Amino acid sequence: MQRSDEQGLAKNFGRWLEPLLVPVLAILTAVIVGGIIIKVVNGDPIAAYRGLIQGAFGSPKALSETAVWATPYIFAGLAVAFAFQGGLFNIGAEGQIALGAVLSALIGYALPGWLHTSLPAYIHIPLAVGMGMLAGAIWAAIPGALKAYTGGHEVINTIMMNYIALNLTSFLLNGPMRDPNPLDLSARTPEIAPSARIPPLFNIPGMRVHWGFVLALVVAVIIWWILWKTTLGFEIRTVGANPDAAKYAGINVKRTIIVTMAISGALAGLAGAIEVTALNYRHELGFSTGYGFDAIAIALLGKTNPYGVILAAILFGAMRNGATRMQFLTQIPTDIISVIQALILLFVAADAIIRFIYRIRARAERVVLTRGWGG
Amino acid sequence: MKKLYTIMAIVLLASMVLTACGTAATPTEAMPAATQAPAATQAPAATAAMPAATATTSATAPDCTQANVFCVGDVTDVGHVDDKSFNQSTWEGVQQAKADGTADWIQFIETSDSKDYAKNIDTFAEAGYKVIVTTGFNLTDPTYAAAKQYPNIMFIGVDQGLQKDDNHPDWPLPNLVALVFHEDQSGFLVGALAAQMSKSHNIGGVFGTDAVPAVWRYGEGYRAGAAYEDKKNGTTTTVTNVYHNDVGFNLTFTDPTWGATTANSMIDKGADVIFGGGGITGNGAVDATAQRKVLAIGVDTDQYYTLPEADAYLLTSAMKPIPAPLGDLIGLAKAGKFPTNGLYYGASGFAPYHDVASQVPANVDAEMQSLLKALTDGTLQTGVPDAKPAQ
Repeated sequence: MQRSDEQGLAKNFGRWLEPLLVPVLAILTAVIVGGIIIKVVNGDPIAAYRGLIQGAFGSPKALSETAVWATPYIFAGLAVAFAFQGGLFNIGAEGQIALGAVLSALIGYALPGWLHTSLPAYIHIPLAVGMGMLAGAIWAAIPGALKAYTGGHEVINTIMMNYIALNLTSFLLNGPMRDPNPLDLSARTPEIAPSARIPPLFNIPGMRVHWGFVLALVVAVIIWWILWKTTLGFEIRTVGANPDAAKYAGINVKRTIIVTMAISGALAGLAGAIEVTALNYRHELGFSTGYGFDAIAIALLGKTNPYGVILAAILFGAMRNGATRMQFLTQIPTDIISVIQALILLFVAADAIIRFIYRIRARAERVVLTRGWGG
Repeated sequence: MKKLYTIMAIVLLASMVLTACGTAATPTEAMPAATQAPAATQAPAATAAMPAATATTSATAPDCTQANVFCVGDVTDVGHVDDKSFNQSTWEGVQQAKADGTADWIQFIETSDSKDYAKNIDTFAEAGYKVIVTTGFNLTDPTYAAAKQYPNIMFIGVDQGLQKDDNHPDWPLPNLVALVFHEDQSGFLVGALAAQMSKSHNIGGVFGTDAVPAVWRYGEGYRAGAAYEDKKNGTTTTVTNVYHNDVGFNLTFTDPTWGATTANSMIDKGADVIFGGGGITGNGAVDATAQRKVLAIGVDTDQYYTLPEADAYLLTSAMKPIPAPLGDLIGLAKAGKFPTNGLYYGASGFAPYHDVASQVPANVDAEMQSLLKALTDGTLQTGVPDAKPAQ
């Protein structure tokens, strides 16, 4: 983010804090409005928020659970943010996550049987995770190619690909990949082999935070590096900013679009693969639903910056995690969290509201997120 | 550019709404077996649970860690306590324990994501709750694990029929009891009703696989109930039970087309009451039957609320009424008489006739009530064994 020529409130913020201004005020406003809603339904907003914060950060276990929640959010948020940087709107993260989880689970439980041998973890884990990424990459590259070669809009195509992916997942989990144990009444895969499981960070019962969280942070740094320190990243951002100029500058726009979508899909697939290999040890219908859509909000709140995505993902993870304790203490339905998240999103997306409320002058420079329809 | 932000915001909000709808649909797909979705005794009033929820907000929670404060926690499956299905009837059972004076304090946590099962159980355990109730098959393993982790807390798994196997080597645990039901009794009741209501003396049952003992018990109970009424009234009722056996486990509970076709062919052959039991397959049969304007019977829950398109011809549903036995079980837990064999059987039931009540003669209803009473107090046996005998 560059320095702006703003006056007033924003002037006092440093170069690094300035981009945080609108998101932070959006969160604050959403929390206040959420509090009013809680009050209206006869709840105690202070007690509710105290419970939320306690549940999210109040103990080592709470912190661990927040990290568990944040992990898929970071991966999926990065996926959407990465596509945004290339001027593409990947609404298909939901389907890419599901397929990543399915394929990673398949490799996790079936591969040793196919090979008639057990695998060492240092081969099995990368294979299971890698295939999950590949599934997501291919699933996202298809709408990328459609965009590049036919002009078919990626918003429509990724949404449609979601339906295909989710119904395919439902078929696989009810059919060929279903746990053959007749006592298992759920539509889910068998458990993956121990050699495909990513271990927890600490060997303490109840502390579920796993190495996938560390991986998520590392991947965020890698994505930042790709975007701002490599030729590919420069090409992606140029295509995102102005495809005509990019073409004139000799950048292969078609290829860049497909690569952008493939990397975005790989990140989403990684979100699903890590949930399977590090947390659930299987895939099941109903696991990970909605993460792909939350990811769009996270990418927006994080201003499509990888580090912003980490912060936004931890915030969303903390809210989802803390909601349990909030409901336990106050019996306020956890749905209020969805309301607050939607409000944050609304205020970030329509930041004119926030700028009006807090009297912040618009910045001269604006981030181009997507070129919109027919761009 | 501002316009684009607005468009994105709208697309996003729309997609959130879509997810919400999507999530609501999943549980049906995820839980195909007839045995899984338990039931509500009374017609579930949507409002029943929520005012209670708000009411507890104002009261202050006592210190549940005190030995003399008996707190009961309820962890739902993904969904809400007013879902007109098993989450709701479980919470009604817990509320029953409060009304009975058994529980000093009750509380629920609604699971919003399946990865939170263990965390939600822990939340109650760490707060010193004496009894933790969990709902539905999906919580079987987290509940079993928690029962081993917290040996001093009593756990009740609603509709979580367990047995000793590789994944549950220590079953039965002294502090874990599954609330389960005699499906053959529910089947018996609706079979008796079907035999009395049938004018052609030809009734049918469309089921998932009989490899699942609970499904087989529903079917055989249905047959036994019809035979009982035949003997009493001197009629001869043809009972045709068809199980969806010759397909994989993947399809047997999720094949509404087969359910509909089978029901239709039974109706073509003169059947005038059809019992559909077995997840979505059974739902297909109930739906198709109602479309033919023939009386249909649902399963597990009062399907008047879950299959509204069949309402006009839904005679009843073979039910697993949760609240009363759950309240009793919590009472046993408090009295130190928690069952040690890991299982507690609830009394079976059948749903109200709702829209077709005017077609049910008073003497038939009286007979049904006396059958229900006799089955509950044990003076009447269905004669159906626990599992299909080996051939």
